[in-house]
Amino acid sequence: MKRLYFFIIGAFSLVGLWAIYYRLTEGLKMTALTSNVSWGLWVVFYIFFIGLSAGSFLLSTMVYVFNMKQYEKIGKVALLSAFFSLVAGLMFIFIDLGHPERFWHALVYRQPTSILSWEIHFYLIYMLIIVAELWFLLREDISRLVIKAKGFKKFVFKLVSIGYSIPDNSEKLERDRKQTHKWMKILGIIGIPTAIGVHAGTGSLFGVIVAKHMWNSGLTPILFLVSALVSGAALMLLLYALLVPKEKQDNTMLKSLGGLLILFIAVDLLIVAAKYLVGLYNYVPDERQVLLNMMFGERWYIFWVGQIMLGAIIPILLLSIKKGSSTLKALAGLSTILGIFCVRWNLVVPAYLESPMPGLETAFVHDRLLFEYTPNLFEWITSLGLISIVILLFSLALNSLPIMETKEGKEDNGETADGVQAI
Amino acid sequence: MGSNKEPNQGRKEFIKKGLLAGGGLLVASELIKWKPMIEAVKATQHTEVLPLVETVSTEDVVIRMQKELHEALKKPVEEIHWIMVIDQKKCVACDACTVGCSAENGLPPGVVYRPVIKEEIGTYPNVSRRFTPRPCMHCENPPCTQVCPIGATYKRPDGIVSIDYDKCLGCRYCLSACPYGARSFDWGEYHTENTPEVMPYELEPTFEYGDEKVRKGNKSPIGNARKCHFCIHRLQNGMLPTCVTTCIGRATYFGDLNNPNGLVASLIGSPRVKRLKEKLGTKPSVYYLT
Repeated sequence: MKRLYFFIIGAFSLVGLWAIYYRLTEGLKMTALTSNVSWGLWVVFYIFFIGLSAGSFLLSTMVYVFNMKQYEKIGKVALLSAFFSLVAGLMFIFIDLGHPERFWHALVYRQPTSILSWEIHFYLIYMLIIVAELWFLLREDISRLVIKAKGFKKFVFKLVSIGYSIPDNSEKLERDRKQTHKWMKILGIIGIPTAIGVHAGTGSLFGVIVAKHMWNSGLTPILFLVSALVSGAALMLLLYALLVPKEKQDNTMLKSLGGLLILFIAVDLLIVAAKYLVGLYNYVPDERQVLLNMMFGERWYIFWVGQIMLGAIIPILLLSIKKGSSTLKALAGLSTILGIFCVRWNLVVPAYLESPMPGLETAFVHDRLLFEYTPNLFEWITSLGLISIVILLFSLALNSLPIMETKEGKEDNGETADGVQAI
Repeated sequence: MGSNKEPNQGRKEFIKKGLLAGGGLLVASELIKWKPMIEAVKATQHTEVLPLVETVSTEDVVIRMQKELHEALKKPVEEIHWIMVIDQKKCVACDACTVGCSAENGLPPGVVYRPVIKEEIGTYPNVSRRFTPRPCMHCENPPCTQVCPIGATYKRPDGIVSIDYDKCLGCRYCLSACPYGARSFDWGEYHTENTPEVMPYELEPTFEYGDEKVRKGNKSPIGNARKCHFCIHRLQNGMLPTCVTTCIGRATYFGDLNNPNGLVASLIGSPRVKRLKEKLGTKPSVYYLT
């Protein structure tokens, strides 16, 4: 089963590699984007994964900053998924660039008035924080693995351990553990504003655009942040229910994660209602028309089925079943994540579909100047390929590192990996 | 009775004559006073055509704009503020500006710098049409340059918002930020793609921003944001933007706002003047006369 899983996800990853190559050689003409709908599926995935990352990270700080011991079992996996989600988000924005080979320009040339310029720096600092936290958390286990492993694996583990080797006496080990604990707290404290900056900042990226009335609101960054927490909690629920074998699952853990998820969904719904109802109330067409098209237009189902049903109603119902099994909880998590994807879609694409000036849509007609957008097959394949690559790396990390283990109940590697195949 | 009447009669006659003589004298004296005035009026009655005041010119506005352009170019660049004035009453929506612009800048499919918006107003039988050519507005507060993460698009001291093709990442954030939809992305397509071969004229160099560039492979300007730049490369060589010279109705004016005697500066002092979406505070450099 494990082999089959890695075979399938590996095959998809190869497709992803091919898609990246094809995209880099052929340029953006492979997409269905237009000059008027200039951001599409890849940007939707970008903000989706950045949100997933920020959400997971903020949940991990509950353990390492706020000392909420009941969540300790998901601490490591939250950090690890925060890292890989960030990688996924950055990969998506990388292939979305017209000139990916110039990505380093973003670090060399700066523009203090640009949110995007700030965001790039936030992403980097954030990534460093996550990597440092993961290293502190895992260095002891990795250095044990270095001793055990052989050949290529040993080399990789040695590389990952960055020179840390486990001390030879228990006194020093205790000292190192204390140091880890201290650093986790410091990094976490720096990490919280950074993670908020990462995702509320990504929201501001949209919020400041005066040309798109639907985005141009102070609620946009908050909405991004809260939906990030929703997706982070949902991912943790999903991973915990899937990766930890049923007999070892902690029911109170599942319950409290579920409760947290419901809370986040409720706050998210409140903000969505505030933003959209205010936008709809007056007859100013700029925002109202966009919202009406989003809710009752051709793609009404993305809002009603995706955002409301999958993203809110179904998970709340599934989680409120009193004796619900962990499968149901996993389903609730999955449904929420799909719902959040629809939220991301609705945050990006609908704002583009209204012409900024009446008559512009017919002034000069060309496929690349349409105010319409449906992602084409290539964009979907590329997206699935990229996601597969990240899931593959994530699974490899889960498979070889003791992520789901805690001091109390150690599971052996084989069992952890068995869980992986179910993703 | 008779004798009584006569002296009476005589006195009446005398008074009558006296009054007449007095009145006549009065009229005569008035006439003498008015004479020069009447003559003065008579003198103006044979009119002649005066020469036009020197400031009003009979030459083609394009020639005048050309002269003013040369004058402006003598100034240091930061003292110039290029603006465009478009007279919507003169525009006939012939699209000559759109086509001229595309030819001048070698624009690929899907890239347009200056489309002409055609709107129908009213219901039959009370209908009319309004034409709004929409170049880049070259705003004084451009929302697009503000958002660029690397400053690849920026405002020049002469007011032109330009793009550094060799710096631009192609993130398309500026496309989203423009409230006028004035930016397009170069997707790397050719007009003669999917024909036996891409025609050589599509691989001819263009000279935007004064740089010689051939659109080929993934090289800039492919993969970049593109927009109207008031034909900087033509201005540098003392020529008006293409859309100004190809406008058959002379509806597009171009010049330096900082020249108070210039054509464009005089045109925008009119109650007909407006700018697009002024409430956004972008302060466009393109003015419309409605």
